[in-house]
Amino acid sequence: MSPGMMKSIAMQQALNLDILYSFIIILCSLMIYFGTKELYDLSSHRGIKYFRLAFLFFAIAYFFRSFIKFILIYFNIPEIMQLSPKAFGTLTIMAFMYFSIMAIFYLLYSVIWKKINSNKIYIFHITAILMTFVSIFSHSQLIYLLINLLILIIAITTVLIAHKKKRKQNYTYLAYILLSFFWALNILDILIPDFFRNTQLIIYLVSSGIFFIILYRVLRNTGAN
Amino acid sequence: MTKRGRLEIIKDILQIIQNNRGEINITPLLRKTNLSSKQFYKYLEEIKNKNFITEKTLLQNKKILLTIRGNKFLEKYKTIINFIQEFEL
Repeated sequence: MSPGMMKSIAMQQALNLDILYSFIIILCSLMIYFGTKELYDLSSHRGIKYFRLAFLFFAIAYFFRSFIKFILIYFNIPEIMQLSPKAFGTLTIMAFMYFSIMAIFYLLYSVIWKKINSNKIYIFHITAILMTFVSIFSHSQLIYLLINLLILIIAITTVLIAHKKKRKQNYTYLAYILLSFFWALNILDILIPDFFRNTQLIIYLVSSGIFFIILYRVLRNTGAN
Repeated sequence: MTKRGRLEIIKDILQIIQNNRGEINITPLLRKTNLSSKQFYKYLEEIKNKNFITEKTLLQNKKILLTIRGNKFLEKYKTIINFIQEFEL
């Protein structure tokens, strides 16, 4: 087997793994979103609203991450990708970054909204757009790392502020911090492909595990089947 | 005694109607809720808009009736509260 062929097979396997991983995250996120629909319809609770939006945005983000490639290939319309592969790649990564940053912001806002007496969600959108543009067009690995680190610090600070003075032991916050941490690793994995060459599978497994745990807790608490 | 939250107040109003065989006059409802008149009408408007209750006027007597959706809210109230507590929303 020629080295070119081996490389092609390896790339195909990586794409398959990527699609499977995205499919798992999309499935878990949509199950969380639709599983909490009735509770939100009845209560109109803002915390539940932001929590649901977080997972809807995760689903959209992972759709752009790699599932869109699967759809284009499965329905035999790869021409869209071939028109301008670079533009297609940049656009889908931009969409992934924007929607996933918004998902993290919504998740954090769902636990802290009571402490912030304002409804300025547009600030999150502007921040997410800015972060996306800076990440994509700076072409600097240091900037990717700094932006991810900044979001991770925001996530940990928010979670700690929200958790302050609460005596009850609850692992939700730990799940949110881990979710933000592995999301940051996912972003780095996309923007700096060689960064996690040997640990990609572990990142995918742990990230999927966190989504499964949250889904399990949602299903257990909503009584959904 | 701690201050009741929005969802607890809505649950209390609907519970009072349910305990009164699903319908009640507006004056005793206002009295039993322990809310100020302003607050009471604010919540009444909200639960009316959410179709938890309907109003029926008979001989100038305004009655509040609990709907199927209102019953559903009461059924799911504990689940909603547990969910909010579980995820600290």
